[in-house]
Amino acid sequence: MKHPLTTCVKVLLPALLLSACGASSVVISGSFPTPNIGTLPVTLAVVYDDSLQDFTYTEYSETGQEEYHIQSGQSHIELFNAILPAMFEQVIPVDAIEQAAEAGVDAVFVPNIEEFQLALPAKTRLDVYEVWIKYNMRLLTAEGDYLADWVLTSYGKTPTETFRGTESAINDAAIVALRDLASTFALSFTQVPEISDWLANR
Amino acid sequence: MTAIRKRTGGLLLLSLALSAGCTSTTVDEFRQADTGIDNHETVVILGRRQLSSYETSADFVECVGERIGSGADGLSVIPEQEFLDAMFPWFEPRTAPLRTEDLQRLMAEEQVALTMRGFGVRYIIWLDGFTERLNQEGSISCTVAPGGAGCFGFGSWEDDASFSARVWDVDSYNAVGTISTDASGQSYVPALVIPIPLIARVEANACQRLGDQLKNFVIGG
Repeated sequence: MKHPLTTCVKVLLPALLLSACGASSVVISGSFPTPNIGTLPVTLAVVYDDSLQDFTYTEYSETGQEEYHIQSGQSHIELFNAILPAMFEQVIPVDAIEQAAEAGVDAVFVPNIEEFQLALPAKTRLDVYEVWIKYNMRLLTAEGDYLADWVLTSYGKTPTETFRGTESAINDAAIVALRDLASTFALSFTQVPEISDWLANR
Repeated sequence: MTAIRKRTGGLLLLSLALSAGCTSTTVDEFRQADTGIDNHETVVILGRRQLSSYETSADFVECVGERIGSGADGLSVIPEQEFLDAMFPWFEPRTAPLRTEDLQRLMAEEQVALTMRGFGVRYIIWLDGFTERLNQEGSISCTVAPGGAGCFGFGSWEDDASFSARVWDVDSYNAVGTISTDASGQSYVPALVIPIPLIARVEANACQRLGDQLKNFVIGG
């Protein structure tokens, strides 16, 4: 008769070894404050492309193996849902640019992530986790014509702490980066030359 | 002979414990203007985080806030995160005012001025600094065997905390003073079967001395 402990070790050991080889999944989550700024008299449609909704960044180890899958699409949507209603008189989410004209909006906003970078202390030898994100923001007319196209970058960092896991630290650094995006976006929106001209000529 | 050895070991541990308790802290104050605060007015303490090389820890900011708010003469302190969220996006690492002139410009924004008045903020205190770990030495090895477990070795390190607090008067848009603190202390972990951490409370001491000094500074002079 086999000892129960031996069976347990036989089952658990391969499972442990397998889990050690797999990549960890990090779903970015956090809460975002409503911006304390003036509202623009604009009715805005917002389109969250599939590329934004499903955005996942994969961090590879130094040996080329997948180490972390960072899913941040939904957190970006939550962020824009928190800041846009404070910036514009009315915000209407639509599935596609074509639906904007029917919704009778003044403009359509299409945010997208162009690049995502992660710096881990194990690789940089620094005592911080860092996240850097590059965005492409587009503003279109209700008919889908070009109004403005601009690039924004955001940066977030969080220090290493005893008893805090890597996943939690990555999440914290990403949330700082998202707050950075929200603050830069909210304060610089009207300073984009094309948008400034468009607002002045309305 | 065994008794002498025990006594020597005891004395060594006692001297280590006593020296570990010793943290040297210095506080410097530079006053630029008179201060004072009414009962209905509040203070907010914010950490500087605009540099990529380090950031002022939120725990240290909270610790100084608790110290300023404690005691019979404690001031009313707005929690940092509550203030940052209410003022979003004006006090984020990339957008926060770096000089009092920037604060004056910021207060021209109606929403900012309204929220600031709502909180009753009279002074903004900017904390800037960090604690650095230096001279880490020694090693401890632990073993687990069927008969039991134990550790043997010795580790030590030095912590050096350096923080400055700049006080801005929101009424006059002036910097009214700066208080700096430097604290350092040596920690030891001797391990003879059981590790005994003898930790120097460097950051805690820096927080305590800086908090007390800031409270007296704001209350008046």
